[in-house]
Amino acid sequence: MSATAYYEPYRLPAGILALLVHSVFFALLYLGLSWNRQAYLPPTMSVELWPSIPEEVVAPPVNPKIEAMQPPQKKMAEPDIAIPDKKKVAAKPEKKPDLKPVEVVKPKPKTDTQKPVEQKPDTRVADQQAASIQAERIKQEEQAAAKNKMVDEYKAKIMAKIRRNVVMPPDVANNARAEFLVTLLPGGAVLKTELKKSSGNAAYDNAVERAILKSDPLPLPPDAQLFNRFRELNLVFRPTE
Amino acid sequence: MGVTQDLSFVQLISHASVLVQLVMGLLLLVSLMSWWYIFLKMFAIRDEARLTAEFEEAFWHNQNLNELYKYANSSSLREQGALERIFAAGFAEFLKLKKQQGVDADAVTEGSRRAMRATYQREMDRLESHLAFLASVGSVSPYVGLFGTVWGIMNAFRGLANVGQATLAHVAPGIAEALVATAMGLFAAIPAVLAYNRYAHDINRLSTRFDSFTEEFSNVLQRQP
Repeated sequence: MSATAYYEPYRLPAGILALLVHSVFFALLYLGLSWNRQAYLPPTMSVELWPSIPEEVVAPPVNPKIEAMQPPQKKMAEPDIAIPDKKKVAAKPEKKPDLKPVEVVKPKPKTDTQKPVEQKPDTRVADQQAASIQAERIKQEEQAAAKNKMVDEYKAKIMAKIRRNVVMPPDVANNARAEFLVTLLPGGAVLKTELKKSSGNAAYDNAVERAILKSDPLPLPPDAQLFNRFRELNLVFRPTE
Repeated sequence: MGVTQDLSFVQLISHASVLVQLVMGLLLLVSLMSWWYIFLKMFAIRDEARLTAEFEEAFWHNQNLNELYKYANSSSLREQGALERIFAAGFAEFLKLKKQQGVDADAVTEGSRRAMRATYQREMDRLESHLAFLASVGSVSPYVGLFGTVWGIMNAFRGLANVGQATLAHVAPGIAEALVATAMGLFAAIPAVLAYNRYAHDINRLSTRFDSFTEEFSNVLQRQP
Protein backbone atom coordinates (compact mmCIF):
# COMPACT_ATOMS: atom_id res chain seq x y z
CA MET A 1 0.00 0.00 0.00
CA SER A 2 1.66 3.19 -1.07
CA ALA A 3 1.58 6.30 1.05
CA THR A 4 -0.50 8.28 -1.40
CA ALA A 5 -3.31 5.75 -1.41
CA TYR A 6 -4.41 6.75 2.07
CA TYR A 7 -7.41 8.88 2.51
CA GLU A 8 -6.24 12.36 3.42
CA PRO A 9 -9.08 14.80 3.91
CA TYR A 10 -6.98 17.90 4.57
CA ARG A 11 -4.99 18.17 1.37
CA LEU A 12 -6.43 21.45 0.20
CA PRO A 13 -6.48 23.40 3.47
CA ALA A 14 -2.97 22.21 4.27
CA GLY A 15 -1.75 23.32 0.87
CA ILE A 16 -3.39 26.72 1.23
CA LEU A 17 -1.87 27.17 4.68
CA ALA A 18 1.57 26.19 3.40
CA LEU A 19 1.29 28.78 0.64
CA LEU A 20 0.11 31.31 3.17
CA VAL A 21 3.10 30.70 5.43
CA HIS A 22 5.45 31.19 2.53
CA SER A 23 3.79 34.28 1.23
CA VAL A 24 3.90 35.81 4.71
CA PHE A 25 7.56 34.88 5.02
CA PHE A 26 8.51 36.36 1.69
CA ALA A 27 6.42 39.44 2.27
CA LEU A 28 8.33 40.00 5.52
CA LEU A 29 11.61 39.48 3.71
CA TYR A 30 10.61 41.80 0.91
CA LEU A 31 9.48 44.55 3.25
CA GLY A 32 12.15 44.07 5.86
CA LEU A 33 15.13 43.39 3.70
CA SER A 34 15.70 46.71 2.00
CA TRP A 35 19.14 47.47 3.22
CA ASN A 36 21.21 50.25 1.77
CA ARG A 37 18.41 52.21 0.17
CA GLN A 38 20.57 55.27 0.67
CA ALA A 39 24.03 54.33 -0.38
CA TYR A 40 26.73 55.33 2.01
CA LEU A 41 29.10 57.75 0.35
CA PRO A 42 32.32 58.27 2.24
CA PRO A 43 33.34 61.90 2.63
CA THR A 44 35.66 62.76 -0.22
CA MET A 45 39.20 63.63 0.63
CA SER A 46 41.69 64.93 -1.87
CA VAL A 47 45.34 64.26 -1.30
CA GLU A 48 48.15 66.12 -2.99
CA LEU A 49 51.21 64.07 -3.68
CA TRP A 50 54.40 66.08 -3.64
CA PRO A 51 57.63 64.61 -4.90
CA SER A 52 59.65 66.50 -2.29
CA ILE A 53 58.92 68.60 0.72
CA PRO A 54 58.92 72.29 -0.15
CA GLU A 55 60.99 74.59 2.03
CA GLU A 56 58.26 77.15 2.46
CA VAL A 57 54.79 77.31 1.12
CA VAL A 58 54.68 80.03 -1.50
CA ALA A 59 51.56 82.05 -1.10
CA PRO A 60 49.71 82.48 -4.35
CA PRO A 61 50.01 86.09 -5.51
CA VAL A 62 46.90 88.12 -5.07
CA ASN A 63 47.95 90.89 -7.40
CA PRO A 64 50.99 91.57 -9.57
CA LYS A 65 52.65 93.69 -6.88
CA ILE A 66 52.91 90.97 -4.32
CA GLU A 67 53.95 88.64 -7.01
CA ALA A 68 56.85 90.92 -7.76
CA MET A 69 57.93 90.46 -4.22
CA GLN A 70 58.46 86.77 -4.54
CA PRO A 71 62.19 86.99 -5.31
CA PRO A 72 63.13 88.64 -2.01
CA GLN A 73 61.26 85.97 -0.18
CA LYS A 74 63.67 83.43 -1.58
CA LYS A 75 66.59 85.35 -0.13
CA MET A 76 65.08 85.59 3.29
CA ALA A 77 67.83 83.65 4.93
CA GLU A 78 70.42 86.30 4.10
CA PRO A 79 71.17 88.59 6.98
CA ASP A 80 71.66 91.84 5.07
CA ILE A 81 68.45 93.54 4.20
CA ALA A 82 69.41 96.79 2.62
CA ILE A 83 71.84 95.67 -0.06
CA PRO A 84 69.70 93.55 -2.37
CA ASP A 85 67.19 96.37 -2.90
CA LYS A 86 68.49 97.87 -6.10
CA LYS A 87 69.73 94.65 -7.41
CA LYS A 88 66.30 93.23 -7.04
CA VAL A 89 64.50 95.96 -8.93
CA ALA A 90 66.91 95.58 -11.75
CA ALA A 91 66.96 91.87 -11.60
CA LYS A 92 63.24 91.52 -11.59
CA PRO A 93 62.61 91.15 -15.30
CA GLU A 94 65.24 88.47 -15.63
CA LYS A 95 64.24 86.55 -12.60
CA LYS A 96 60.62 86.32 -13.27
CA PRO A 97 60.66 83.85 -16.12
CA ASP A 98 62.68 81.47 -13.94
CA LEU A 99 60.19 81.64 -11.15
CA LYS A 100 57.09 81.06 -13.11
CA PRO A 101 57.13 77.28 -13.15
CA VAL A 102 57.74 77.22 -9.39
CA GLU A 103 54.66 79.15 -8.50
CA VAL A 104 51.45 77.48 -7.66
CA VAL A 105 49.16 79.87 -9.48
CA LYS A 106 50.35 81.09 -12.81
CA PRO A 107 50.58 84.84 -13.02
CA LYS A 108 48.66 86.45 -15.81
CA PRO A 109 50.92 86.89 -18.78
CA LYS A 110 49.47 90.28 -19.63
CA THR A 111 50.63 92.06 -16.49
CA ASP A 112 53.96 90.36 -16.62
CA THR A 113 54.91 91.74 -19.91
CA GLN A 114 53.71 95.22 -19.14
CA LYS A 115 55.47 95.70 -15.87
CA PRO A 116 59.10 95.78 -16.86
CA VAL A 117 58.40 98.45 -19.45
CA GLU A 118 56.70 100.72 -16.93
CA GLN A 119 59.08 100.21 -14.06
CA LYS A 120 62.42 100.90 -15.57
CA PRO A 121 62.11 104.53 -16.50
CA ASP A 122 60.01 105.55 -13.49
CA THR A 123 62.31 105.72 -10.49
CA ARG A 124 59.61 106.96 -8.16
CA VAL A 125 57.56 103.94 -8.74
CA ALA A 126 60.66 101.85 -8.16
CA ASP A 127 61.32 103.62 -4.87
CA GLN A 128 57.78 103.09 -3.75
CA GLN A 129 58.02 99.48 -4.66
CA ALA A 130 61.31 99.13 -2.84
CA ALA A 131 59.77 100.59 0.27
CA SER A 132 56.79 98.32 0.09
CA ILE A 133 59.08 95.38 -0.57
CA GLN A 134 61.00 96.21 2.54
CA ALA A 135 57.86 96.54 4.61
CA GLU A 136 56.60 93.30 3.28
CA ARG A 137 59.84 91.60 3.99
CA ILE A 138 59.88 92.81 7.57
CA LYS A 139 56.38 91.54 7.97
CA GLN A 140 57.29 88.19 6.54
CA GLU A 141 60.36 88.01 8.70
CA GLU A 142 58.23 88.64 11.73
CA GLN A 143 55.89 85.90 10.64
CA ALA A 144 58.81 83.57 10.06
CA ALA A 145 60.20 84.41 13.46
CA ALA A 146 56.83 83.66 15.03
CA LYS A 147 56.72 80.41 13.15
CA ASN A 148 60.22 79.50 14.25
CA LYS A 149 59.28 80.28 17.79
CA MET A 150 56.25 78.07 17.50
CA VAL A 151 58.33 75.29 16.00
CA ASP A 152 60.91 75.54 18.77
CA GLU A 153 58.19 75.59 21.38
CA TYR A 154 56.61 72.43 20.03
CA LYS A 155 59.92 70.71 19.60
CA ALA A 156 60.59 71.41 23.26
CA LYS A 157 57.13 70.06 24.09
CA ILE A 158 57.84 66.90 22.12
CA MET A 159 61.16 66.44 23.85
CA ALA A 160 59.55 67.01 27.23
CA LYS A 161 56.81 64.52 26.55
CA ILE A 162 59.28 61.88 25.44
CA ARG A 163 61.61 62.56 28.32
CA ARG A 164 58.78 62.07 30.77
CA ASN A 165 58.30 58.57 29.39
CA VAL A 166 61.93 57.52 29.50
CA VAL A 167 62.49 54.83 32.07
CA MET A 168 66.14 55.35 32.86
CA PRO A 169 68.12 52.12 32.92
CA PRO A 170 70.85 51.82 35.53
CA ASP A 171 74.50 52.65 34.83
CA VAL A 172 74.02 55.17 32.08
CA ALA A 173 77.01 57.43 31.66
CA ASN A 174 76.23 61.11 32.06
CA ASN A 175 77.72 61.97 28.71
CA ALA A 176 75.67 59.41 26.81
CA ARG A 177 74.03 60.91 23.74
CA ALA A 178 71.47 59.09 21.64
CA GLU A 179 70.30 60.59 18.36
CA PHE A 180 67.00 59.50 16.85
CA LEU A 181 65.33 60.30 13.57
CA VAL A 182 61.58 60.25 14.21
CA THR A 183 59.17 60.26 11.29
CA LEU A 184 55.74 61.64 12.11
CA LEU A 185 52.37 61.51 10.46
CA PRO A 186 50.04 64.52 10.38
CA GLY A 187 48.27 64.37 13.69
CA GLY A 188 51.39 63.47 15.60
CA ALA A 189 51.41 59.69 15.24
CA VAL A 190 54.88 58.21 15.17
CA LEU A 191 55.45 56.46 11.86
CA LYS A 192 58.90 55.16 12.64
CA THR A 193 61.93 55.80 14.73
CA GLU A 194 65.43 55.29 13.61
CA LEU A 195 68.52 55.27 15.78
CA LYS A 196 70.92 57.64 14.06
CA LYS A 197 73.68 57.55 16.60
CA SER A 198 73.82 55.13 19.44
CA SER A 199 74.72 56.35 22.88
CA GLY A 200 76.94 53.33 23.31
CA ASN A 201 74.52 51.98 25.86
CA ALA A 202 71.99 49.72 24.20
CA ALA A 203 69.72 49.78 27.24
CA TYR A 204 69.51 53.57 27.09
CA ASP A 205 68.87 53.52 23.33
CA ASN A 206 66.03 51.07 23.81
CA ALA A 207 64.60 53.04 26.69
CA VAL A 208 64.50 56.19 24.58
CA GLU A 209 62.97 54.39 21.63
CA ARG A 210 60.26 52.92 23.86
CA ALA A 211 59.63 56.35 25.29
CA ILE A 212 59.20 57.80 21.80
CA LEU A 213 56.70 55.12 20.87
CA LYS A 214 54.94 55.50 24.19
CA SER A 215 54.60 59.25 23.65
CA ASP A 216 52.55 58.66 20.51
CA PRO A 217 50.81 60.96 19.57
CA LEU A 218 53.36 63.70 19.89
CA PRO A 219 52.14 67.27 20.34
CA LEU A 220 52.05 69.22 17.09
CA PRO A 221 51.24 72.88 16.46
CA PRO A 222 47.65 73.47 15.36
CA ASP A 223 48.87 75.22 12.21
CA ALA A 224 48.94 72.43 9.65
CA GLN A 225 51.39 74.33 7.46
CA LEU A 226 54.05 73.93 10.08
CA PHE A 227 53.82 70.16 9.90
CA ASN A 228 56.49 70.08 7.20
CA ARG A 229 58.98 71.10 9.84
CA PHE A 230 57.93 68.18 12.00
CA ARG A 231 57.72 65.46 9.41
CA GLU A 232 61.19 64.25 10.24
CA LEU A 233 62.58 65.19 13.60
CA ASN A 234 66.15 64.72 14.61
CA LEU A 235 66.02 64.37 18.35
CA VAL A 236 69.01 64.22 20.65
CA PHE A 237 68.65 62.70 24.09
CA ARG A 238 71.00 62.98 27.00
CA PRO A 239 70.41 61.32 30.32
CA THR A 240 71.22 64.47 32.28
CA GLU A 241 68.57 66.68 30.76
CA MET B 1 28.93 47.04 -9.59
CA GLY B 2 29.05 50.49 -8.10
CA VAL B 3 29.14 51.71 -4.56
CA THR B 4 25.44 52.44 -4.70
CA GLN B 5 24.33 48.84 -4.50
CA ASP B 6 20.65 48.51 -3.88
CA LEU B 7 20.30 45.29 -1.95
CA SER B 8 16.61 44.68 -2.10
CA PHE B 9 15.36 41.16 -1.68
CA VAL B 10 14.30 40.75 -5.30
CA GLN B 11 17.69 41.80 -6.54
CA LEU B 12 19.41 39.46 -4.16
CA ILE B 13 17.68 36.58 -5.89
CA SER B 14 17.71 37.86 -9.44
CA HIS B 15 21.44 38.69 -9.37
CA ALA B 16 22.49 35.28 -8.10
CA SER B 17 24.12 32.80 -10.44
CA VAL B 18 22.08 30.13 -12.18
CA LEU B 19 23.13 27.29 -9.91
CA VAL B 20 22.36 29.31 -6.80
CA GLN B 21 18.97 30.17 -8.27
CA LEU B 22 18.36 26.50 -8.96
CA VAL B 23 19.28 25.63 -5.40
CA MET B 24 16.99 28.35 -4.12
CA GLY B 25 14.16 27.12 -6.33
CA LEU B 26 14.64 23.56 -5.12
CA LEU B 27 14.66 24.70 -1.53
CA LEU B 28 11.53 26.74 -2.07
CA LEU B 29 9.79 23.68 -3.49
CA VAL B 30 11.01 21.51 -0.64
CA SER B 31 9.93 24.09 1.86
CA LEU B 32 6.48 24.34 0.33
CA MET B 33 6.10 20.57 0.41
CA SER B 34 7.35 20.27 3.94
CA TRP B 35 4.94 22.93 5.12
CA TRP B 36 2.14 21.21 3.25
CA TYR B 37 2.96 17.96 5.03
CA ILE B 38 3.33 19.77 8.31
CA PHE B 39 -0.23 21.08 8.07
CA LEU B 40 -1.53 17.81 6.64
CA LYS B 41 -0.05 15.84 9.51
CA MET B 42 -1.11 18.43 12.03
CA PHE B 43 -4.76 18.10 11.00
CA ALA B 44 -4.52 14.32 10.66
CA ILE B 45 -2.95 13.74 14.06
CA ARG B 46 -5.29 16.19 15.75
CA ASP B 47 -8.28 14.35 14.21
CA GLU B 48 -6.84 11.00 15.12
CA ALA B 49 -6.34 12.01 18.74
CA ARG B 50 -9.91 13.34 18.90
CA LEU B 51 -11.44 10.24 17.29
CA THR B 52 -9.40 7.95 19.51
CA ALA B 53 -10.57 9.75 22.62
CA GLU B 54 -14.20 9.64 21.40
CA PHE B 55 -14.05 5.94 20.62
CA GLU B 56 -12.41 5.03 23.91
CA GLU B 57 -15.16 6.95 25.67
CA ALA B 58 -17.84 5.16 23.69
CA PHE B 59 -16.22 1.76 24.14
CA TRP B 60 -15.93 1.92 27.91
CA HIS B 61 -19.39 3.37 28.45
CA ASN B 62 -21.26 1.12 26.06
CA GLN B 63 -20.89 -2.54 26.84
CA ASN B 64 -22.91 -3.64 23.83
CA LEU B 65 -20.19 -4.61 21.38
CA ASN B 66 -22.59 -5.47 18.56
CA GLU B 67 -24.02 -1.99 18.63
CA LEU B 68 -20.56 -0.45 18.58
CA TYR B 69 -19.57 -2.67 15.67
CA LYS B 70 -22.60 -1.65 13.70
CA TYR B 71 -21.93 1.98 14.40
CA ALA B 72 -18.27 1.66 13.45
CA ASN B 73 -19.13 0.07 10.11
CA SER B 74 -21.80 2.62 9.32
CA SER B 75 -19.73 5.74 10.06
CA SER B 76 -18.10 7.50 7.14
CA LEU B 77 -14.42 7.11 6.38
CA ARG B 78 -13.71 10.52 7.74
CA GLU B 79 -15.37 9.91 11.08
CA GLN B 80 -13.80 6.49 11.44
CA GLY B 81 -10.72 6.66 13.58
CA ALA B 82 -7.82 4.22 13.57
CA LEU B 83 -8.93 2.75 16.86
CA GLU B 84 -12.42 2.21 15.50
CA ARG B 85 -11.02 0.36 12.53
CA ILE B 86 -8.85 -1.78 14.78
CA PHE B 87 -11.89 -2.62 16.87
CA ALA B 88 -13.98 -3.37 13.77
CA ALA B 89 -11.33 -5.68 12.33
CA GLY B 90 -10.87 -7.52 15.60
CA PHE B 91 -14.57 -7.91 16.23
CA ALA B 92 -15.31 -9.03 12.65
CA GLU B 93 -12.68 -11.75 12.96
CA PHE B 94 -14.10 -12.74 16.34
CA LEU B 95 -17.61 -13.08 14.93
CA LYS B 96 -16.40 -15.12 11.97
CA LEU B 97 -14.42 -17.51 14.16
CA LYS B 98 -17.30 -17.76 16.61
CA LYS B 99 -19.64 -18.96 13.84
CA GLN B 100 -17.31 -21.82 12.92
CA GLN B 101 -17.77 -24.90 15.03
CA GLY B 102 -14.89 -26.66 16.71
CA VAL B 103 -12.64 -23.64 17.23
CA ASP B 104 -11.56 -23.29 20.82
CA ALA B 105 -11.72 -20.01 22.73
CA ASP B 106 -7.96 -19.41 22.70
CA ALA B 107 -7.77 -19.71 18.93
CA VAL B 108 -10.69 -17.28 18.56
CA THR B 109 -8.99 -14.68 20.74
CA GLU B 110 -5.69 -15.23 19.00
CA GLY B 111 -7.25 -14.84 15.57
CA SER B 112 -8.98 -11.61 16.42
CA ARG B 113 -5.78 -10.30 17.99
CA ARG B 114 -3.88 -11.04 14.77
CA ALA B 115 -6.52 -9.22 12.77
CA MET B 116 -6.25 -6.21 15.09
CA ARG B 117 -2.47 -6.33 14.82
CA ALA B 118 -2.63 -6.14 11.04
CA THR B 119 -5.02 -3.21 11.10
CA TYR B 120 -2.94 -1.51 13.75
CA GLN B 121 0.17 -1.75 11.59
CA ARG B 122 -1.66 -0.39 8.58
CA GLU B 123 -2.97 2.50 10.63
CA MET B 124 0.48 3.26 12.01
CA ASP B 125 1.87 3.27 8.50
CA ARG B 126 -0.83 5.74 7.49
CA LEU B 127 -0.12 7.99 10.46
CA GLU B 128 3.61 7.89 9.94
CA SER B 129 3.44 8.62 6.23
CA HIS B 130 5.32 11.76 5.15
CA LEU B 131 7.21 11.89 8.43
CA ALA B 132 10.30 10.50 6.72
CA PHE B 133 10.08 13.36 4.25
CA LEU B 134 10.04 15.90 7.07
CA ALA B 135 13.04 14.21 8.65
CA SER B 136 14.98 14.28 5.38
CA VAL B 137 14.14 17.92 4.78
CA GLY B 138 15.24 18.76 8.27
CA SER B 139 18.60 17.10 7.90
CA VAL B 140 19.44 17.69 4.26
CA SER B 141 18.14 21.11 3.27
CA PRO B 142 20.73 23.04 5.31
CA TYR B 143 23.41 21.24 3.34
CA VAL B 144 21.71 22.00 0.06
CA GLY B 145 21.52 25.66 1.06
CA LEU B 146 25.14 25.60 2.13
CA PHE B 147 26.11 24.14 -1.21
CA GLY B 148 24.40 27.03 -2.98
CA THR B 149 26.13 29.49 -0.69
CA VAL B 150 29.56 28.01 -1.19
CA TRP B 151 29.05 28.06 -4.92
CA GLY B 152 27.89 31.67 -4.83
CA ILE B 153 30.81 32.75 -2.69
CA MET B 154 33.20 30.93 -5.00
CA ASN B 155 31.81 32.93 -7.88
CA ALA B 156 32.01 36.15 -5.92
CA PHE B 157 35.68 35.60 -5.20
CA ARG B 158 36.44 34.54 -8.72
CA GLY B 159 34.92 37.80 -9.90
CA LEU B 160 37.19 39.58 -7.45
CA ALA B 161 40.25 38.19 -9.22
CA ASN B 162 39.42 40.18 -12.34
CA VAL B 163 39.27 43.47 -10.50
CA GLY B 164 42.48 45.36 -9.99
CA GLN B 165 41.63 46.93 -6.70
CA ALA B 166 39.86 44.51 -4.43
CA THR B 167 37.32 46.12 -2.17
CA LEU B 168 34.64 44.71 0.03
CA ALA B 169 32.05 46.34 -2.20
CA HIS B 170 32.98 43.92 -4.97
CA VAL B 171 32.38 40.74 -2.99
CA ALA B 172 29.73 41.79 -0.50
CA PRO B 173 26.72 41.65 -2.87
CA GLY B 174 27.79 38.25 -4.19
CA ILE B 175 28.12 36.88 -0.69
CA ALA B 176 24.80 38.35 0.34
CA GLU B 177 23.15 36.70 -2.66
CA ALA B 178 24.78 33.40 -1.86
CA LEU B 179 23.76 33.56 1.77
CA VAL B 180 20.11 33.75 0.76
CA ALA B 181 20.44 30.07 -0.20
CA THR B 182 21.54 29.16 3.32
CA ALA B 183 18.74 31.23 4.77
CA MET B 184 16.22 29.35 2.66
CA GLY B 185 17.73 26.01 3.59
CA LEU B 186 17.39 26.86 7.25
CA PHE B 187 13.88 28.18 6.70
CA ALA B 188 12.90 24.84 5.24
CA ALA B 189 14.82 22.78 7.80
CA ILE B 190 13.87 24.33 11.12
CA PRO B 191 10.08 23.84 10.92
CA ALA B 192 10.58 20.40 9.41
CA VAL B 193 12.76 19.26 12.30
CA LEU B 194 10.42 20.75 14.88
CA ALA B 195 7.38 19.20 13.23
CA TYR B 196 9.07 15.84 12.85
CA ASN B 197 9.98 15.65 16.51
CA ARG B 198 6.55 16.77 17.60
CA TYR B 199 4.66 14.42 15.31
CA ALA B 200 6.91 11.45 16.07
CA HIS B 201 6.15 11.98 19.72
CA ASP B 202 2.39 12.36 19.14
CA ILE B 203 2.25 9.25 16.97
CA ASN B 204 4.22 7.33 19.54
CA ARG B 205 1.65 8.20 22.17
CA LEU B 206 -1.22 7.22 19.86
CA SER B 207 0.47 3.92 19.13
CA THR B 208 0.75 3.20 22.84
CA ARG B 209 -2.96 3.88 23.23
CA PHE B 210 -3.77 1.56 20.31
CA ASP B 211 -1.56 -1.14 21.80
CA SER B 212 -3.15 -1.02 25.20
CA PHE B 213 -6.61 -0.96 23.65
CA THR B 214 -5.77 -4.10 21.65
CA GLU B 215 -4.75 -5.88 24.83
CA GLU B 216 -7.81 -4.76 26.74
CA PHE B 217 -10.16 -5.62 23.91
CA SER B 218 -8.64 -9.10 23.67
CA ASN B 219 -9.47 -9.58 27.31
CA VAL B 220 -13.02 -8.41 26.71
CA LEU B 221 -13.37 -10.86 23.81
CA GLN B 222 -12.02 -13.69 25.90
CA ARG B 223 -14.71 -13.02 28.46
CA GLN B 224 -17.44 -13.15 25.75
CA PRO B 225 -19.72 -16.19 25.96
